[in-house]
Amino acid sequence: MNVLVTRTERKLAQWRSAGSAPPGAARPRRSRLRPATSVAIVLLFLVAVLVIVVPFLPSYNPYAINLSVALEPPFRSTAHLLGTDELGRDLLSRVSLATRISLLIVTFALMLNVLIGVSVGLTAGYYRGKADTVIMGSADLVLSFPILILLVTIVAVLGPSAQTIAVVLGCVFWVSYARVSRATALSLRSREYVISAVTQGASGWWVIRKHLLPQVVPQIAIMTSFDLGVLITVEASLSYLGLGIQPPTPSLGGMISDGQNYLQTSPWLCVLPSLVLLLLIGGVQFMSQRFTSEGQQSRGMTAT
Amino acid sequence: MSNHSEPLLCVSDLVVEFDTPAGPARAVDGMALTVHPHELLCIVGESGSGKSVTMLATMGLLPATARITAGQIRYKNRELSSLPAGEMRRLRGRELAMIFQDPMTSLNPTIRIGKQVGEIITLHEPKASKADVKRRVIDLLSQVNIPRPEYRYSAFPHQFSGGMRQRAMIAMAMAHAPALLIADEPTTALDVTIQAQILEVLRQMRERTGSAMVLITHDLGVVAETADRVVVMYSGRAMETGTVQEIFHDPQHPYTIGLLAGLLDMSGTGKTAYTIPGQPPALTRRPSGCPFHPRCALHQGRDICRTTTPVLADSPSGRAACHFANETAAWAAEKFPHIRRGPSGRASQ
Repeated sequence: MNVLVTRTERKLAQWRSAGSAPPGAARPRRSRLRPATSVAIVLLFLVAVLVIVVPFLPSYNPYAINLSVALEPPFRSTAHLLGTDELGRDLLSRVSLATRISLLIVTFALMLNVLIGVSVGLTAGYYRGKADTVIMGSADLVLSFPILILLVTIVAVLGPSAQTIAVVLGCVFWVSYARVSRATALSLRSREYVISAVTQGASGWWVIRKHLLPQVVPQIAIMTSFDLGVLITVEASLSYLGLGIQPPTPSLGGMISDGQNYLQTSPWLCVLPSLVLLLLIGGVQFMSQRFTSEGQQSRGMTAT
Repeated sequence: MSNHSEPLLCVSDLVVEFDTPAGPARAVDGMALTVHPHELLCIVGESGSGKSVTMLATMGLLPATARITAGQIRYKNRELSSLPAGEMRRLRGRELAMIFQDPMTSLNPTIRIGKQVGEIITLHEPKASKADVKRRVIDLLSQVNIPRPEYRYSAFPHQFSGGMRQRAMIAMAMAHAPALLIADEPTTALDVTIQAQILEVLRQMRERTGSAMVLITHDLGVVAETADRVVVMYSGRAMETGTVQEIFHDPQHPYTIGLLAGLLDMSGTGKTAYTIPGQPPALTRRPSGCPFHPRCALHQGRDICRTTTPVLADSPSGRAACHFANETAAWAAEKFPHIRRGPSGRASQ
């Protein structure tokens, strides 16, 4: 025993004197961020400042009209750091509020999509039979419509409002979640541990909750990070078409659309919301790339 | 064991059919068996003889393509085959439990052992407190001889060996002290030394809970050492039934004799083990009459084997489904003198 200890200590001393760590002491860690990830972090940081810090600025007031300072260019005054629109409203405040609203709508819509998609997909995949046929048939039906046209139609019928788009966006993007969840449920339903749980008296709901749901979470998380960008774009498109959030509430799409009239004299009206949209979508997309590749790397680790 | 007590489970004339492209396949064709409280019944038979399907039908766990087309499954005077799904579910795990062959895949690899065993407790007792469940899980793990159960409680299945996983499965199955435990080849996937330990754990657990057990197995050695009674199945039917002494000392069906003769003779005579000629019939094309007659040495071209299906009750002893059960003893004594050595004659290996 003594011999062993001394030998180990001698080895350690050797390594220490050589200035290197003993093998296995420190695993090589992936320390450097990939460029896309760093870009994403910077972009999302800017968005976070816009959304979180700006509302606390003394100049924050997205609704105050002051025609005497209408169409002021950016960086002229501290009162209106990024200039004003045609009614003299502070652009920085408006862009900040628009981003907040957009994120709120999109987050709600995304959660609704995930909720519908995952519950429907797991149910269809676990129970199979008629439920499966009906559910996946309707999913194909939703998928076969061009989504923007479908949205425009629904919003036109229901009347445009923030709530309407949140719900409508929440009901048309669930198909991919349903498909992924169903595929997972299909592959797991005949696993012996699922059968074993049923043998011990588990109900379908129990199996779905305890054995199926936890295993779709990683894939769903990756998909939401990707869909976040898509939904932001679609929400902006709807507002741009005047079918989304109604004035005077600001929206990125609506601001771009209004700013078009002043494109030659005051281009910042258009450029500013577009830039924010770019930051937002770019940040989210680069981040989702990171998640996707991470997911692929760890796929061997997820239980199959 | 005790034939006087009220039977726990009584399967009679059970027919289970699978839908196949080639038409309905009768996996179980007129099966009958009885399990009494506290006893250990072994079901032996070749692969595809309907052992597992009979027990899956009992548990109400037949796959979607299979149907019970005739017969009764009575458990404590309740007809299981017509029980509503919800009631059947409450029965499973609490009164009827089942252990499967492969412990490697029977545990969810992403959930810690303790949590998985605990969930089976909360499944039937949703009001049990967390601390109470944990205490009971650790108690169960130690009962199935898992060393250091407090430590193993938070282990993942991949950190368990095959034998330990099967112990964990036994702990789950015995969590509610079921009246009937069905073990479908519980030791087939394990190596021989572990097999003996698992059987011992099963015996200990049954001693504590008083559960009856149906053990499905290929291993006649296991049967000889553990069983109270034995049912020999062939082609979806019970060929012979009896106590373990009766089956090993006084087998009355030519098929049973063929199985026993197939065991290796360790007395050093150097003879190769006997194999029953031919193959079990396809489920879609069963021979008429006795399903065993094309392979049977006693058939000898007699018409009744082809025309009439023998039933257990018709034989003189009521134990063997054979028209000529009275001839088997003489035939066996002449052809396989060594098998009469009985269950203690190291029949297994």
